Amino acid sequence: MTKINWESITIKEFAGIVSYALKKNNIDAVLVGGACVSIYSGNKYLSYDLDYSSYNTIKEIKPCLEEIGFKQTAPNRFEIKKCKFYIEFVTWPVTLGGSKAITKFNKLDSGKGIVTLLTPTDCVKDRLAAYYHWNDPQSLEQALLVAKNQKTNIKDIEAWSEKENKSEEFKLFKKELEFK
Amino acid sequence: MLETILGNSTIERILFFIAVYKEGYAKQMADTFSISLNGVQQQLNRLEEGGVLVSQKKGNTRIFTFNPRYIFLDELKNLLNKALKLLPEKEKKKYYRNRTRPRKTGKP
Repeated sequence: MTKINWESITIKEFAGIVSYALKKNNIDAVLVGGACVSIYSGNKYLSYDLDYSSYNTIKEIKPCLEEIGFKQTAPNRFEIKKCKFYIEFVTWPVTLGGSKAITKFNKLDSGKGIVTLLTPTDCVKDRLAAYYHWNDPQSLEQALLVAKNQKTNIKDIEAWSEKENKSEEFKLFKKELEFK
Repeated sequence: MLETILGNSTIERILFFIAVYKEGYAKQMADTFSISLNGVQQQLNRLEEGGVLVSQKKGNTRIFTFNPRYIFLDELKNLLNKALKLLPEKEKKKYYRNRTRPRKTGKP
């Protein structure tokens, strides 16, 4: 592999390198959270924190990341010198709230490796979940960024919002989305 | 009661506390149960890292609640509620009947 310039790397390339290093060691990990928003919005929102969900333990993950120069800086966090991005591992399985886990993901070729991540529709739901549960306006903004930049299934998001008893909040999201 | 499956009694108390009061912070729980603050903080961190709890900072205090995205949340709440019902009445009164309704500032 050619030398990586960690200082100037993009989030998509970073995610590709990390995913490749894990996959090489037979570890499946799904990129979730704000990093998906960055990728889907073309960096209109930039996250420095890449949340991965994996069934594997930190003990199993650690040597794969150390191999490419990462250091563990907290129980679930890994960082690399001179790089603004860092990785955190969140619990498995990937959920959006409720008792259903997400099992279908998107695959994206970053040029440095294949990244498994939330689909744009689930990414919008993920952000809306934070808006619904914690009334977080930043999450609403991020959901809108993804929905405006990617093809998403709005009917599916509406049905999910209804199940979450958040139809009123969904209406606000839809109104903002239609506002040009 | 659940400490065998939860790992220790501090975790059991933290989860009972959140199940009853919906939220809490480390010192509040340590004071309620007269246990070490450090022990409560350690277990809160463990529960947060495991995705069971989430925390939000309000002023200088970190408030913990159940993580609405925790996949076993419904099952966990059912288990905790069943166990809470089986607690001796004395225990329930001592720890799980604290006043939570508002009290006007300055009122004794």
